[in-house]
Amino acid sequence: MKRLAAHPPAVFGLALLLLLAVAAAAAGMAEGWLGFDAEWLDLSAQMAPPSALHPLGTDEVGRDLLLRLLRGGQISLAVGLVTALVAAFLGTLIGLTAGYLGGPIDALLMRLTDGVIALPLLPLLIVLGAVDPTRLDLPAELFRSELAGLVRIVVIIGLVGWTTVARLVRAATLTVKVQDFVRAAEALGAGPARIMAVHILPNVVSPMIVATTLSVGNIILLESALSFLGLGVQPPLPSWGNMLSAALEQMYSDPALAIWPGTLIFLTVLSFNLVGDGLQELIDPRSGKD
Amino acid sequence: MHGSPACINIAGMRRLLFSLIALLGLVLDGPELRADPSQLVIGISQFPSTFNPLIDSMAAREYILDMARRPFTTYDKDWALVCMLCTSLPTLGNGQAVAEPGPDGRRGVAVTYSIQPQARWGDGVPVTTKDVLFTWEVGRHPQSGVADGELFRRIVAIDVKDAKTFTMHFDRLTYDYNAINDFALLPEHLERAAFANPAEYRNKSLYEADTTNPGLYFGPYRITEVARGQYVVLERNPSWYGRPPAFARIVVKAIEATPALEANLLSGGIDMVAGEVGMPVDAALAFERRGRPEWVVLYKPGLVYEHMTVNLDNPMLADRRVRQALLYGLDRESMVRQLFRGKQAVANSLVNPLDWCADPTVRTYPFDPAKAAQLLDDAGWRLGSDGHRRNAQGQALWVELMSTAGNRTREIMELVAQQAWKRLGLTVTLHNQPARTFFGDSVLKHAFPSLALFAWMSAPENVPRAELHSTMVPSKANNFAGENVGGYRNPRMDALLDAIEVELDRDKRRLLWAELQALYAEDLPDLPLTFRADPFILPVWLKGVEPTGHQYPTTLWIEDWHVAK
Amino acid sequence: MTRHLAGRFLQALLVMLVMSFLVYGLIGLMPGDPVELMAAGSPKMTPDDVARLKALYGVDRPLLERYWHWLSSAASGDLGYSRLTSQTVTAALAHPLSNTVALMATSLAVALLAAFPVGVIAALRQGRPLDHGLNLVAFAAISLPVFWLGLVLIILFAVGLAWLPASGVATVGGGGLVDRLRHLILPVAALAVASFGHYMRYMRAAMIGALRQDWIRTARAKGLSWAQVVLRHALRNALIPVVTILALDVGTLFSGVLVTETVFAYPGMGKLIYDAVMGNDYNLALAGLMLATGLTLAGSLLADLLYGLLDPRIRFR
Repeated sequence: MKRLAAHPPAVFGLALLLLLAVAAAAAGMAEGWLGFDAEWLDLSAQMAPPSALHPLGTDEVGRDLLLRLLRGGQISLAVGLVTALVAAFLGTLIGLTAGYLGGPIDALLMRLTDGVIALPLLPLLIVLGAVDPTRLDLPAELFRSELAGLVRIVVIIGLVGWTTVARLVRAATLTVKVQDFVRAAEALGAGPARIMAVHILPNVVSPMIVATTLSVGNIILLESALSFLGLGVQPPLPSWGNMLSAALEQMYSDPALAIWPGTLIFLTVLSFNLVGDGLQELIDPRSGKD
Repeated sequence: MHGSPACINIAGMRRLLFSLIALLGLVLDGPELRADPSQLVIGISQFPSTFNPLIDSMAAREYILDMARRPFTTYDKDWALVCMLCTSLPTLGNGQAVAEPGPDGRRGVAVTYSIQPQARWGDGVPVTTKDVLFTWEVGRHPQSGVADGELFRRIVAIDVKDAKTFTMHFDRLTYDYNAINDFALLPEHLERAAFANPAEYRNKSLYEADTTNPGLYFGPYRITEVARGQYVVLERNPSWYGRPPAFARIVVKAIEATPALEANLLSGGIDMVAGEVGMPVDAALAFERRGRPEWVVLYKPGLVYEHMTVNLDNPMLADRRVRQALLYGLDRESMVRQLFRGKQAVANSLVNPLDWCADPTVRTYPFDPAKAAQLLDDAGWRLGSDGHRRNAQGQALWVELMSTAGNRTREIMELVAQQAWKRLGLTVTLHNQPARTFFGDSVLKHAFPSLALFAWMSAPENVPRAELHSTMVPSKANNFAGENVGGYRNPRMDALLDAIEVELDRDKRRLLWAELQALYAEDLPDLPLTFRADPFILPVWLKGVEPTGHQYPTTLWIEDWHVAK
Repeated sequence: MTRHLAGRFLQALLVMLVMSFLVYGLIGLMPGDPVELMAAGSPKMTPDDVARLKALYGVDRPLLERYWHWLSSAASGDLGYSRLTSQTVTAALAHPLSNTVALMATSLAVALLAAFPVGVIAALRQGRPLDHGLNLVAFAAISLPVFWLGLVLIILFAVGLAWLPASGVATVGGGGLVDRLRHLILPVAALAVASFGHYMRYMRAAMIGALRQDWIRTARAKGLSWAQVVLRHALRNALIPVVTILALDVGTLFSGVLVTETVFAYPGMGKLIYDAVMGNDYNLALAGLMLATGLTLAGSLLADLLYGLLDPRIRFR
């Protein structure tokens, strides 16, 4: 932690993320104070200016902008984090295995990676969107209906998003595994699993962190792009991405609606990147300051 | 390096934010508009997938092709049937249409049309009855790829009197016996070769292979350049028989994203946005709010009927009282007023109030939550202490509202309905899908659990047979043809639909229409919402564009468009 | 080496084959075949019409049979007709392909020209204020939603200042090279901003990694000048991971330009593939996706090759 403190941009990013996380977590409380929830709409108060009742004003259907931003933050952050973790885990596992074991396993895994990279993400989302588990009209399924869309996005992006990490980890593994300390460990009779976990993993962790950090941001950006195409998080759930793309239609007349979610996306993605950058220097002991 | 970068961060961030706001709020004077008075650049939101007038049907294609060719008959802006390529409208009254016995004992009709004498294809070849016969041959051929074979199958025979006159024999005499709007004439002298192998015609047609061939068009303009996915250029057609159009060149640009369409308008990339395939109403309203003096926005309420189709096989919604309660519980009046600023009105039935057959006395459902609650109570759905309505079996009253993802207007209507019905004690979930999935799967295959929000587009006095007749329920057995996707089956409705089609007397037909609307409003197989308005964004200097409000676009009268003096 | 390449090439072909089947199946699994979509849009179509058209388009036959039919004609060079554009698939692909290649190549070139030197400079100044500043710029560049950036660019440069066209590839009626370039500037800028950020980050990280290696110190100790060390040794090593990323990106960028293409109404491959899939245009979608897959595979093959050329420690067996 101390060393991270020596990296001011990371501190800034971390502080901002904490602030955003706390604010997003407080959405429920804020709804309590204001006496209505983020979904409450009032068509007679469309695009109202900021007031005591609506601290940031309202959106194009008269929903409170602040509450929507907070709830949207919960969803955007959750989608970004969970998806990135899923992808990083898969990617590391695959990249490490392929890079270290080499031979036919490497070829197989890398062709799999090639195939997945080439998989069209958007059509895949549409297809899986059509395979709808909530169609069974069981009352228990009711609450899942709106969340199912979220899970779908996480699963699909996670399943196709591991490739960058995998390639990077593999590339790094290839460089590391021919180095002397790995050879030495092999000579001492360590098994492949142990070598991968103890000797190689620590040395491939930095590219992995760079990629994963970038991917949290990328996923938040991807969700916003999907929203722009109408395939992202579906209403009534808010996400910064769908708020931003909805606001684009009023971009000329009411730019504030686009500025808020746009700025939050920008700051969040930026923060993740800055923190990741700081973490990289923290984890890698050799990247000392000169 | 301690501390300073963080300061730079914050300062930089603030500067960025400021410049961002400055950027977005930027309202500088636009570029010099109206550079070339001989040219009109139109923005549309979709590029046509085919240019052959007979295959498939698509609003963007009609919009462009109607400048380059004309139908025999069409509906004008007052929704009256008129002649375009024919010289006078044949009627039973003027003797050009004669009732005759049809093939299977039904009453048929023989209708005689004359082609405009000066009509010539762009290469100089006259438009003749040869083209009529060829078009009929293509239209009814099972392998030609014509989607809607109905019109062509109804024609039993065509007698050719001379090069310009022909008589069509129809298998039954319906009230719209003289309307052959969709009989899109093909040039026999050019297309015959492409039709040598009918199964390949849809790909080999010169409309696709050689779109700029002048011989394919006989209208005021002809297509001279096509950049697929981008734009179509049309220039005056020297062989045009009518009044010459004002603009030497028309460019139609396809720009899909609404904000980009708006940006092009503001930057002078396009002069106007077509109403038929252009912007949604809410985007046009936002555009109007900017108060730019260079453009006017015309709103034409039309025949696009936004509604929620009810899945009548859902036991909860099979009870008419529940459907009525849903409608009473939704404040459509203020929803439509707030969303569309009075540019669209609440629909009370599926017949547009502008249509002559609309019944102004049809039952309405004004916002009345008390009545809605009463109806639900009567139907056995009691409000529990948890705020949810349940029936005697303890089942919660639940509706799922489905629609097309990415359509802002529909999303907002869904949100309003969700909130309103939740207050009545229902559980309401929303589920939106991409258009392809929604229409191809959920709607067509009857796979939406409760309600599907979408629109129908129709012609004036269009009999909603496909939507309401019990034989038009799509199923595996009938290859999912028909549009009665809610599964509405009412023998009286079937009888009315059948009767209207063959009733020639307008007054009697009006009575039948009134009964149909009354039955529809009582049964509520759909929950009517509104008739969509098409926003036409036109430069102030452009005059003569008269929105029609139906599926036949303004470009059919492009000769009337001109620059204000 | 040759044997290795031949092996990789065969593997790539196999992946292509598997992919073509997967994609075909995927589109097949999607709801609504082309005729059903037509039926949903035209109320007057009767069951007979539907059956007739299904037979005509061949969608009434089982998926596997259709796939086989496609595969055998594709193998003989006939990719069939595109249903959405009523052209042969080859004709339908030609323009979008050249448009996208122009867009991608230009934006990649712009991004790399900026990213390489900036990345190297940042690495050499690691931990100093200049490094932090450049880092921040790079991070800011990758943190902007591309469609939003695109629209801001349009508002500023097309609507506000009226310097550049808002959309399209060329002025109606052709226009020369200058005209095409003017149309390219905004979409290229929108794409290049993010790419610049990414590659600058990769370049910097790789360069730092390379500079840290022991043999760099050895080289310094041997008396080589700093510039020699940086340019000849460190840069060469740093390029390995960057080249990997670059080669791999080619394919994804291809279908990934969709959003930019939509914002700028730029008719390219991303838009084409998306429309083909959405509109159930089997032949076009397959050809487009296969092209993207092929490029990705070629890219990864290239990455492997460059890898060997650049890093003498890696030997192919």
